[in-house]
Amino acid sequence: MANLTLSGTTKIFDDGGEDIVAVNDLDLDIRDGEFVVLVGPSGCGKSTTLRMVAGLDTPTSGTISIGDEPIQDERPQERDIAMVFQSYALYPHMTVRENMSFGLEESTDMDDDEIRETVEDAAETLGITELLDRKPGALSGGQQQRVALGRAIVRNPEVFLLDEPLSNLDAKLRAQMRTELQQLQNDLGVTTVYVTHDQTEAMTMGDRIAILDGGELQQLGTPMQCYHEPANVFVAGFLGEPAMNFFDLERDGDLLVSDAFQYELPSEIATAVEGKTDVTLGVRPESVEITDEVDESEHNLIPATVDVVEPHGDENAVHLRLGDSDQANLTVMVDGMRYLASGQDVGVRFPPDAIHLFDGATGEALYNRELTNVEQVEEIGTAQSV
Amino acid sequence: MAGSRDTVSESQNVGTGAERDWQTRLEVFSKSDFARSFPYWFVPFSIMGLGVYGGIGYNTLISLTDYEGFNEGPDFSPGNLDLEMYVQTVNDPWVWTTSKNTFVLLIVFTTVTMVLGLFLAVMLDRGIRYKEKIQTIYLLPMALSFVVTAQFWLWMYNVNNGLINLLLGAALIWQFSGYAMVVFLAGLQSIPDDQFEAAQVDGASVLRTYWRVIIPQLKSSSVSAAVVLVIFALKAFTFLFSMFGQYRVPKGTDILATLMVREAFKLQNWAYAAAIATILLLMALAVIAPYLHYQHKQGSL
Repeated sequence: MANLTLSGTTKIFDDGGEDIVAVNDLDLDIRDGEFVVLVGPSGCGKSTTLRMVAGLDTPTSGTISIGDEPIQDERPQERDIAMVFQSYALYPHMTVRENMSFGLEESTDMDDDEIRETVEDAAETLGITELLDRKPGALSGGQQQRVALGRAIVRNPEVFLLDEPLSNLDAKLRAQMRTELQQLQNDLGVTTVYVTHDQTEAMTMGDRIAILDGGELQQLGTPMQCYHEPANVFVAGFLGEPAMNFFDLERDGDLLVSDAFQYELPSEIATAVEGKTDVTLGVRPESVEITDEVDESEHNLIPATVDVVEPHGDENAVHLRLGDSDQANLTVMVDGMRYLASGQDVGVRFPPDAIHLFDGATGEALYNRELTNVEQVEEIGTAQSV
Repeated sequence: MAGSRDTVSESQNVGTGAERDWQTRLEVFSKSDFARSFPYWFVPFSIMGLGVYGGIGYNTLISLTDYEGFNEGPDFSPGNLDLEMYVQTVNDPWVWTTSKNTFVLLIVFTTVTMVLGLFLAVMLDRGIRYKEKIQTIYLLPMALSFVVTAQFWLWMYNVNNGLINLLLGAALIWQFSGYAMVVFLAGLQSIPDDQFEAAQVDGASVLRTYWRVIIPQLKSSSVSAAVVLVIFALKAFTFLFSMFGQYRVPKGTDILATLMVREAFKLQNWAYAAAIATILLLMALAVIAPYLHYQHKQGSL
């Protein structure tokens, strides 16, 4: 068991004379036994980062260390890591037992009996004992996934690397494996780096998540921190489904103004945007309140028209048009039992304690809702992950 | 009266009905895939049937006669057909020698060609897979000094014990290792990178990775390459004939195929040569049979 440190890690690919920066000056400190999820859109550098830790790609500059030992110049064989590939990469000509034994045979001095025992223990942990003498071709996707995990855990490595291990499973199995993987990681207590493009996986599985975009680290924090205190517009928009609503506004004193509406900031929040003219207002779909009556006199109540309602069962996603916009520009989640008709005129309220403000030019967060408001949720979240 | 008319008209109805039925059947048949594709498959099918299976049949028939010389055609009268020629082949020590040579050629040629082909394919595949390493492999000859290269060619052309003489023997292998290489390369290219990476992460060295993970996955490539090579080795006559330019090739390289051609076209022992040809065919079939069985088991046939 050990912590994993990346410092100033940079990877530049040479694409026919043109340099492509895949990962730019990445600093990550992953604690012993921690489950960290690297998340971001395609091409954000998350897989390259994982491959550099595995030793399949060599960093252009910077260091990677396990414990206190720099490993960036070591070959994958010499690093104490195990990796689960997106495609599982099981050896098709070997049985499950042979697949799981291979790493031990190649990298340790264990004798045959020890190897058999280790493999059988791991198989039991994963519930694949009865599959040991089958070949990968005869297994379902979920079973192959387990074997791939088994192949990694028999090695008992310092660090687990998982590259989108659930992306080839159907939705139901994925949800089940998410829980199982978390439990397994907890039981084993091995430092784990998990790469995914799926924000749900990131939010639900990670002790901490690292959000990457364009090869740069955007934010590293607990899921709750990243969700409620996003460092910038990218993080705010990436986490959460449906995504946060953004409005580009101009500041006029304590007033934020656009063609569609204006919003008056409480004075304690207004100080956060002092000196800025272009401000992006962000508000999560579940935080917006909808009123059936439009009381013109009410402070900060914005008139809107219901465009489309998508029922999800437990809740409904309501797409609204603000002002005289001809396109839906606000999404709100309301209770599943609440009835709203297309074309209905309503009023929307952005509660001041739930809004986020970002610099219109740089996208940096200027004001976030305070995490004290969600501390309770956070505590429950931590309790679950332990 | 009325009743009989009814019967007549009825029977007429039946007649036209049957005729119509026959016509519709013909019409349906003329529109079937079988009839419509007929012009396309019939010609190649009959040429193939006549040329290959007709040839095999005619050859087998000749092998049952005592046909030799130029004087008259083979005598196919039933009393003349027997297995005498086959008895003669079994008792001919030269047939045994050439069979042994055929077998040795088959094993050595196939093995060496496949190993060489596999090696070349692995080198090429690595070149394609890891682009940065391609230069080192292909520029290696350039790195040798000119003196070394010159000395090398001097050895090759030495009249007494020049490597060229040896290389002539190896030419066969050289030519077919190209074929084996292409087959293996296709097999290698279908193996995804992550197999190499998984083995690497599992702690296997490059050699061990090929030995335990990659080469075992080339089983079907090996089988198809081996079948073609073995069958070529069985009928390597053209190669040996053009290399030595005479019917009687050096003893060590005399194989069943050269013996067959010599018996037929030099000594005019037609029936005897035909019997040898049949033995060769059976040997080739014996090689193909396991392959066909394997393909059938895989569901490719």
